[in-house]
Amino acid sequence: MNIDHHEGFQRMIDESLAGAISAEKEQSLREHLSTCATCREYLSASNRVIAGLSGFSFEVNPTLHARVLAALKLQAEQVPAAQPGRRRLMRQHNVQFKVWAAFAVALSMSIVGSALVYQVAKLLTVPMHFDTAQVQAGVLVFWLLPSFCSALLLLAAPGENRGIA
Amino acid sequence: MESDTQRIALGLRQRDVAVLETLVEQYQYRLVRYLVSLLGRRDGVDDFVQETWLRVLERAGSYDGHSRFEPWLFRVARNIALDAMRKRPMFSLDSNEEDGVRSSPASGEPSPYTLAARTEDAERLAHSLQTLEPVYREALVLRFQEDLSLQEISVIVGAPVSTVASRIYRGLATLRPQFEGEIA
Repeated sequence: MNIDHHEGFQRMIDESLAGAISAEKEQSLREHLSTCATCREYLSASNRVIAGLSGFSFEVNPTLHARVLAALKLQAEQVPAAQPGRRRLMRQHNVQFKVWAAFAVALSMSIVGSALVYQVAKLLTVPMHFDTAQVQAGVLVFWLLPSFCSALLLLAAPGENRGIA
Repeated sequence: MESDTQRIALGLRQRDVAVLETLVEQYQYRLVRYLVSLLGRRDGVDDFVQETWLRVLERAGSYDGHSRFEPWLFRVARNIALDAMRKRPMFSLDSNEEDGVRSSPASGEPSPYTLAARTEDAERLAHSLQTLEPVYREALVLRFQEDLSLQEISVIVGAPVSTVASRIYRGLATLRPQFEGEIA
């Protein structure tokens, strides 16, 4: 049996121990292990490492528990209870309100602006030799539509692009 | 029916002292063990443990109880440890790993692993564990001591699952020679 062959199965052993192996590979590994002493030894050494990791016992300072609880109780009394996601919810509502307000302002300016531009453009119909339909089309294409689209973009753009955090 | 994790989430949000006491009782040792694996030293860990619990209380609203409590707790502890490592010169930040974790045992002090070894296998691993890159040691402890899944570890360390798996393989590869060539 060549080295690459063992390496492939030893890789599978690592994957199995890490919890990253598929059921088919696991089955194939099990079959291989029943006939391969080299890979069994690899698995055994790996299991010794894992068992060795459980052989450490760190001493915990006996006063730590009381110290932590005292600090927690103090903080729990000082700070009012957290409300689940309330602050986040309020922030979201605030952002939504700002966006709709901006949209409403932009829309109003679009409509009022269009009316004003239309009035000005009508004054120019005679000296510029435009008829009313041309003026209306010009205001629609060059003022109303762009400004309306800009207002809509306010709603579509993500929060950070609107400068609202 | 309310699950254990949802009860924990509710208890934390309500600042229920009884729930806090139970959590501290249940997770204190595991928190110490995890922080030692991350920092590679025992001194200073108690302060991080206390800071972690205070942060848990402070951020209680961000634990929703839909997933296990341990990964969330360890992530809080990790963030505190990393913040401290960045701020305090006693902890080194020098590392070739992408998230900048590196152990810095105080010179002249015995390794926490040497002091904590209780079995022959642990004694054999102590030195290698101490010198192991902290990210590998952390991955091994979270996987084999805390019994967390790769996905949960990935959330704690903020790295892809494939990176976590790779750290576990490399950690095992570094420690395995201690036991190779022996019949168990």
